[in-house]
Amino acid sequence: MTAAIAVGILVAAGVYLILQRGLVRVVIGFVALGHAANIILVSAGGMAQRGAPLLADADEEAVAGMADPLPQAFVLTAIVITFGITVYLLGLARAGGDDDPDDHVLDPDSGPDGGDGTGGDSEAAVSGIAPESGEGDGSDADRHAGAAT
Amino acid sequence: MILFAILAAMTALALVVPVISRRYGRDTGYFLAAGFLVLGAVLTPSVMSALDGVAVEGTLPWMPEIGVTATLRLDGLGSLFALLVIGVGVLIFAYCPRYLHGDHHARTYVLLTLFATSMLGLVLAADLVLLFVFWELTTVSSFFLIGGTGPKSARPAMRALIITASGGLALLVAVVLIAIETGTTHLPTILADPQMVLDSPVAWPVGALLVLAAFTKSAQLPFQSWLPGAMVAITPVSAYLHAATMVKAGIYLLMRFTPIYGAEPAWQATLISVGLLTAVVGAALALRQHDLKSLLAYSTVSQLGLITAVTGIGTSVGLAAAVVHTFAHALFKATLFMLVGIIDREAGSRDVRELGGLRRVMPVTATLTGLAGLSMAGVPPMLGFVSKETIFEALGTADFAAWAGPAAGITGVIASALTFAYGVRIFHGAFAGPTTQRQLYEPAWQFLAPAAVPAVAGAVLGVAVTVLNPLTRSAVADTVPLGLAPELYFWHGLSPELLLSAITIAIGMTLFFAREPVDRFLNSIRTPPEGELFDKGYEATLRVGALVGRPNRASSTLAFLSWPLVVLVSLGAVALVAFGRWPAAPPQVTGPLDWAVLALLAAATLGMVVTRHALAAVALLGFAGLLVSAWFLLAGAPDVALTLLLVEVLTAVVAVLVLRALPPRFRRTRPRRTVPAAALAGVAGGLAAAATLAFTGWRERSELGDYFLQHAEDEAGGTNVVNTILVDFRALDTLGEALVLGVAALGLVMLLRASGLSQPPPPLPAPAAATTGDHPSAAAPRIVDRLIFQATNWVLAPGMLLLSVFLFLRGHDEPGGGFIAALVAGIAVAFGWFAEGRTGGRVPVLRALKPEPLVAAGLLISVLVALVASAAGEAFFTPLHLYVGEVHLTSSLLFDVGIYLFVLGLVVAAIDRLGSAGPPPQRATVAERVPAGRTEGGEA
Repeated sequence: MTAAIAVGILVAAGVYLILQRGLVRVVIGFVALGHAANIILVSAGGMAQRGAPLLADADEEAVAGMADPLPQAFVLTAIVITFGITVYLLGLARAGGDDDPDDHVLDPDSGPDGGDGTGGDSEAAVSGIAPESGEGDGSDADRHAGAAT
Repeated sequence: MILFAILAAMTALALVVPVISRRYGRDTGYFLAAGFLVLGAVLTPSVMSALDGVAVEGTLPWMPEIGVTATLRLDGLGSLFALLVIGVGVLIFAYCPRYLHGDHHARTYVLLTLFATSMLGLVLAADLVLLFVFWELTTVSSFFLIGGTGPKSARPAMRALIITASGGLALLVAVVLIAIETGTTHLPTILADPQMVLDSPVAWPVGALLVLAAFTKSAQLPFQSWLPGAMVAITPVSAYLHAATMVKAGIYLLMRFTPIYGAEPAWQATLISVGLLTAVVGAALALRQHDLKSLLAYSTVSQLGLITAVTGIGTSVGLAAAVVHTFAHALFKATLFMLVGIIDREAGSRDVRELGGLRRVMPVTATLTGLAGLSMAGVPPMLGFVSKETIFEALGTADFAAWAGPAAGITGVIASALTFAYGVRIFHGAFAGPTTQRQLYEPAWQFLAPAAVPAVAGAVLGVAVTVLNPLTRSAVADTVPLGLAPELYFWHGLSPELLLSAITIAIGMTLFFAREPVDRFLNSIRTPPEGELFDKGYEATLRVGALVGRPNRASSTLAFLSWPLVVLVSLGAVALVAFGRWPAAPPQVTGPLDWAVLALLAAATLGMVVTRHALAAVALLGFAGLLVSAWFLLAGAPDVALTLLLVEVLTAVVAVLVLRALPPRFRRTRPRRTVPAAALAGVAGGLAAAATLAFTGWRERSELGDYFLQHAEDEAGGTNVVNTILVDFRALDTLGEALVLGVAALGLVMLLRASGLSQPPPPLPAPAAATTGDHPSAAAPRIVDRLIFQATNWVLAPGMLLLSVFLFLRGHDEPGGGFIAALVAGIAVAFGWFAEGRTGGRVPVLRALKPEPLVAAGLLISVLVALVASAAGEAFFTPLHLYVGEVHLTSSLLFDVGIYLFVLGLVVAAIDRLGSAGPPPQRATVAERVPAGRTEGGEA
């Protein structure tokens, strides 16, 4: 029961975050989804027996109460792989300066929506037609200055 | 075995070409011609044996698991094509040195030799899989030979590749279907019992796929467009591949499978009608060309159509006609191509109208051209005349419908008359008319000789056609087992075929003499530009692809992730309704602590979602991870809990390193984005919870889990069952997973290097004169913090390294092992960075760590461990055990070292590269940033 609820919470949070702007939030969502998947795997092994699968000094009864070791082995490597991919994604965020092109659109606080949507904006950026106005650059520079202090 | 030796020798020839070519340049062709001559001589006894009806076969084991052997077999039909491949090969190689300019032709020679090898392999292959492999090799070598002549050849080469390779795919499917249906891939076995295929449900599909493969390769309508395009290749290539041999591969395939399908009316109708249509259309298009090379290309299309049609007759007469015309066509077409090459080189023009009066300036060239042209036109006493007679005879016997015979005969006459018309045009161009190009002179005999041989052979063999009878007889015997090949004679007497020949010549002459109105008429027929059909289809495919991929070009995850998510959620819902068992699950065991952990987790996750502070979000993520690892501990998974705990610490460290350079607050999101995202998230979360409830907790521990618990100690020599699974029972799995880490580490290194962020580590600052670091943008710790950090690091780092070693060593029996130990060492590395501003701090061991050598060493050790087992005669990755007194040593411990290095490599890559990354590039458009990044990378 707790496993199901935990999975529900983590999946909801993960899905919500990967649909947000900015790669860092996407990475956080990705990690949350990873947690959810790992919990599903372990609980698929059954939650009735919860003894750690360590055989040293274990008698018959202890072995009978041990959790399924196979999903644990799966999850262990899954955790480390998730870490590898998380690190890579963070590297991407770093290399790209976290530039979800949405960030280039005028801040919603300062006015109505800029442009007709995300697609056109990003295509312009890719094709080299700089969509940024002077204002956009200015606000970016401000942010970096903020980061440095 | 001799057959394998010959293929091996040909490959060896291709391999030594670069060496010879360095010294002899274009004259390398003579070496190859000599080599092919020798190979032909070596093969002759086998050919003789095959012509006597005793096929030569050789077998090597190849893939015994699926019953595939590398079998080569030389029979009559194979002999015909082997003769063409080697014979024409000798001529072409002897022709190349004078045709090619300059001295850098190693590539052309290597490719031509490799092509010859694959083509010979194709006609010798007696195994379907082998046949397919060689078929594809000819396609690939043809692609490279077409595409090797400069930028203009790229598109025709691609068109040829796509068309012929799609035919190759059809052949592959046919091969697989036949193998499944008959249970063997041995071609003679399959051909010996046609009913095996014919009675199976796949008879029709297989037939259709074979026809498709053959039609693409042999340029039948509607796939003909690649062949004229392929004429951008140099003339020897056109002569060899696209006239004499490779385009005949389709014909060969059709002949090969005639024992199975030859008597089927649908096969006959398809081959005859498409073949004759191609013959007529190709000939008409050829008549319209003035460029000699294009003319010959369309002529080849047309002639291949005729051969396809008579192959489709399926009787011994039909196959005999196909065989003899295949031979005749190779002779006259190779000659004509080579002569066109000569004329082109000498005169600089390939326009048939400018040939006028060639005999006055180039008498030998003109004579040879005339001979080949007449053979193509089917004029006695050339070989082309005999083959044309046989074709008429065969077409008349078409009987898949009552009207088929006469209709086929008439169409054949029309195609032949058109052929005659353009054949005579070439002849006329060479001999008649005023001499337009007086500056021409006869080329050197070395240039002419290779073209002269087939031209003269085509003329002599017409009268002496009985020489070919053994070849025809035995090739036909291989394709029509019950039929007896008709004997070929030069003079048939006053037969109906002779009458048809006379009619052909009469119509042809009329077409020739009325060439001006004929030209006007032909030019008035509007045909789509060559290849337009293909190009349109190709572009339409690209457009569909662009349409499908459009959402992915948006950089908003909402745009491209929501559809896959919706599909995933729908699939999950369907599965839940279809297979979910309600009411859910027998009572799941839930402890009170579980609820406490859950409550905290819910709070942490909620905070993580709503906060706009990057650092807070990362901290909450770490806290949530901590709770999940507590949950794992409660579930009886100490190793997993420990791993997750350490990973969370490192994730937080790496995230902080990255966040230094990023805005401290997330941007505010508009409701336009949050509302659909929240809705989707809610549905996905609910569904995931319901699915977990419905699908887990139903069964006891798995059988496999029981097995591991029972046998871990005695089989793997460890009491930590999870660790024994990782490094012993499922070591190959673990290696794959460790590889992912290695790839991520190297990917990270390259990513940061490519974006110009990777910088050499700053010099180590003197501890007393600690500054705020070398990166102005780096949020380096302040002096006081740093002092504390440095002092702590001195104490902690060695301790952590010891802990790491301890955890590693006990991993096989107690919680620990390569993954966990490496993560602990990784934390020491990270700590050193915070203390000293550079990876590993002042601890010498840690400072020496570099991601690339770590990953390489990890890979090396892991693979060595696996291979040692193989060397010891065990299965790949079987752990080896060694008992030293009481102590049980196992090679899986060594594999654990490999894992350790992989994981450490990843952590070091992350800390080192992200930590030392310089200030972020100035905000710029993507286009501007890339070159800027490159310059920085170059300096670094």
